[in-house]
Amino acid sequence: MSERGHWWQRSIGGRIIVLFLGLLLAVQVASFLALRASLAEHAQRVLPAKLRAGERLLQDLLDRRAQTLINGARLLAADYGFREAVSSNDAETIVSVLANHGARIGATEVALLSIDFKLRASTANQTREFVPVIERLAAQSAASGQASVITLRAGRPYQAVLVPIRAPLVVGWVLMDFPIDAQLATDMQRLSALDLTLISRASSSDAWSVNLSTLDNVSAANLARHAWRDSNGDDATMSSVTTQGEELGVRAKLLSLGREADADAGVRALLSLSVDEAVRLPRDLQLALIAITLLGIVVFAVGSVFTARRVTTPLRGLADAAERLGHGDYATPMRGMQRHDEIGELSQSFERMRNNIAENQAQVLKLAYWDALTGLPNRAQFCEALNRAIVAAPPGGSVAILMLDLNRFKHVNDVLGYRIGDLLLVQVAERLARQVVREGDLVARLSGDEFGVLLRSGDAELALAVARRIEQSFHLPLVLEEHRVDMGAGIGIACWPQHADAGDALLNRAEVAMYAAKGRSNGTLVYDPSVDVASAETLTLIGELRRAVDGDELRLYLQPKLSLETSQLVGAEALVRWQHPQRGMVPPGDFIPFAEQTGFIRALTLWVFEAAVRHSRTLSEEGLELVLSVNLSTHDLLDQDLPQKFEAVLTRRRVSARAFCLEITESAMMDDPQRALATLDRLSAMGFKLSIDDFGTGYSSLAYLKRLPVDELKIDQSFVLNMQADADDATIVRSTIDLAHNLGIAVVAEGVETLQIWNMLRELDCDQAQGFYMGRPMPIAEFLLWSATWSAGRKPQDQGQDQDSAVLH
Amino acid sequence: MLPHATLFAALALVAFAGQAATVGVTVSDAGGKPLPDAVVMLEPASGHLPVSPMSGVQIAQVQRQFSPQVTVVTVGTPVAFPNNDTVRHHVYSFSQIKTFELKLYAGVPAAPVVFDKPGIAVLGCDIHDHMVAWVVVVDTPLHARSAASGRAQIDGVAPGNYQLRVWHVSLPEGASPTSTTIVVGAGDIEQRASLGTTAQPK
Repeated sequence: MSERGHWWQRSIGGRIIVLFLGLLLAVQVASFLALRASLAEHAQRVLPAKLRAGERLLQDLLDRRAQTLINGARLLAADYGFREAVSSNDAETIVSVLANHGARIGATEVALLSIDFKLRASTANQTREFVPVIERLAAQSAASGQASVITLRAGRPYQAVLVPIRAPLVVGWVLMDFPIDAQLATDMQRLSALDLTLISRASSSDAWSVNLSTLDNVSAANLARHAWRDSNGDDATMSSVTTQGEELGVRAKLLSLGREADADAGVRALLSLSVDEAVRLPRDLQLALIAITLLGIVVFAVGSVFTARRVTTPLRGLADAAERLGHGDYATPMRGMQRHDEIGELSQSFERMRNNIAENQAQVLKLAYWDALTGLPNRAQFCEALNRAIVAAPPGGSVAILMLDLNRFKHVNDVLGYRIGDLLLVQVAERLARQVVREGDLVARLSGDEFGVLLRSGDAELALAVARRIEQSFHLPLVLEEHRVDMGAGIGIACWPQHADAGDALLNRAEVAMYAAKGRSNGTLVYDPSVDVASAETLTLIGELRRAVDGDELRLYLQPKLSLETSQLVGAEALVRWQHPQRGMVPPGDFIPFAEQTGFIRALTLWVFEAAVRHSRTLSEEGLELVLSVNLSTHDLLDQDLPQKFEAVLTRRRVSARAFCLEITESAMMDDPQRALATLDRLSAMGFKLSIDDFGTGYSSLAYLKRLPVDELKIDQSFVLNMQADADDATIVRSTIDLAHNLGIAVVAEGVETLQIWNMLRELDCDQAQGFYMGRPMPIAEFLLWSATWSAGRKPQDQGQDQDSAVLH
Repeated sequence: MLPHATLFAALALVAFAGQAATVGVTVSDAGGKPLPDAVVMLEPASGHLPVSPMSGVQIAQVQRQFSPQVTVVTVGTPVAFPNNDTVRHHVYSFSQIKTFELKLYAGVPAAPVVFDKPGIAVLGCDIHDHMVAWVVVVDTPLHARSAASGRAQIDGVAPGNYQLRVWHVSLPEGASPTSTTIVVGAGDIEQRASLGTTAQPK
């Protein structure tokens, strides 16, 4: 058997057909066997009876024959001439009359006996042979006056008769014997349909020889060898002899004893019939059985094929339907649902499944391809549509996309709240949708406040026209509940195939153009490779940055934080620097923003934290117990695993979280305040101090300040730098300090570049200061030297301006 | 020698003629039952008594039977066979003492059959197998037939030695009459003769 099974095991139809036909054949074979057994049983009962009847018939035939012979002999014996000749006493005359008259009725030998059964004359040469016969005949005739026996003479069976000669009284006897010829067997066979075989032997020392038989020679000889024993009267015994491959039932009948009157010699009649023939089904019945079987096979085959079809066709239909479902075709309804059987139930189940899957699929598609807020297609759908449009574009055709980013959206969100922000997005979406009217064009919300417009078979000119319409539509202020909001947007346009040969690249180009437009305060800009140099650089930069993290190209710099009250060093801000092998020191402004955009910032943050932890130990070993500040970005705050990662580092280095302050900008929290807050709560609970960086530049409400587990505020350096010249800034600084202190929060001032500012901050009761006046960011070795110098009371002079640092924070 | 002997016997008979005796013979079968119609004859142990043929003896055929069935005649007696039936008869005998054949005839055949030898002849009819008759040809004048009582009586028997012979139809075919020697003296003799047969009609 192959691994896959027989052919019929591979299909239900095959199994049904095989089962049907198998059952039919089993029934046919069973009835055939039963018939055979019944016939055999019947034969066992009937055949012996038949043989017994045959034996009686044979006896009857022999008796009749004997009677016929006797009658003939009597007539002969009564012939006057015969009697006259016999009375003549002339031996020669007597023998001749015996021969003559015997020949008249076909007797082989004739003998004349005296009245007391003495042999007087005989035609036989060997008269001795008559003696035993005469004895038997004499004994028999004493009773009936005549006699008939079967004798064996010269190896042949004879029927000998004895009749009296009357003149007119019995004066003697005539003995005549007649050969038992084939006529007897033929008659027997004709009357009883049994085969008759006569066998004989003179004495038990001889072999049986066949005298006559209706069987073929070989069978007759076999019978002679095996079946000569007499059957016992009326009993039902039947010998069985197998000859020529055929079983014969045999019954033996003693016709004559042997020469010595011995029972195992003499003459036997063997009646036989074929058991096989009796057991064999009659030919017409065989034909009928074969016909019924063939007809049954045809009927069953047709029936089973039909039944199998009834089952397998709908199953195959269901299999096809399942296949269709697998390929995403949920539209075709199931067939066969009207059936009332299991197939029907299965079809209905399939139909329910199809409907459910179709619904789920629709739901998934909706979630995957639609923006829930605005009801516009989302980025994924936009990208697919873009790709399809590109694929479908005819040779020489073009596809244009617009990418649009709302100006000041974050501001609206911050000031008016998210609900209003969402309303704004919905209204913007509506306005955009109104501007795009062509069939097949698409407006999508790509992300936060970013929208995209797909113009199939559109070029830059068409795109510009659409962009103008959009800009015009923004001239009317949006009314969001009671707020009226003026809305503007930067729009970037990129066209396929001029600007990129694929959808993704085209989106990037449009984005580049959009940022460029926003950067230049130019409402709409078509992509130009010249505006994209920086971005290309950026891409390279990020690749290199990744290498930098692994390749030990990053350096950690520390900028001191000092207590204004005691002028003591109390902490330091950890800042990353990139020692590029070719480009030298890369300014933080060249890679931090891109790291933030790409999310790579998380790897960077982790690196910084690890380095800070290392440095913390080093400082600690030098006797400096400082709080090191590490900056966290938006991405970091949204990273749920961040606390765990920090925890792992702390555990590994065996450093307490209390030695670190995590700085976050207000805006970092705004993308997802809930998650950010959750992360901050966990970090705070771990023991980290939390600081709000660049305080005053964002739009955060004071409510946040209250809710955040914040330990310190860092006043943005823009206020600090100008507080000498600008009274407002000074006021802001003062107010901030007061506000923080009232909330129990420490205040750190950044950008302290002069002694005057230092002093002003001291007067304002600010807690800590950080700036070039005291110390710029520096590697740890330098930091340790600086610290030693600072502690010694020698304030370092002639500190150069570090523009990078200024840009950084 | 012989003439003398014969003469002597004759003289003896003559001598005793005046004192002839009666011999009674009671014939019975093996079971002791008296046998009627048995033929009893006495033959002198030596010599021969002269016999003369009888006359007028006939065996008729009546209703397809011989009548009588048993006939006793002396040697040389001619027997006529008148056919009283309307059918013809074919009377024959294969017996040694007299073989003859009267081919199909009606009425009285022209010549009677002369039984010239002592013995028993069995007669049959060739076309009526059941018909049988016996002719007992005796060569002595001393013979008689037994009555229903089985007794036969022969008178006038001169004293002397005799062979007593008895025959009955029940004796086997071809059997000779039994023979017993008796001595007849001056007085009558009562003799018993038992045949080893049973009286059965043949």
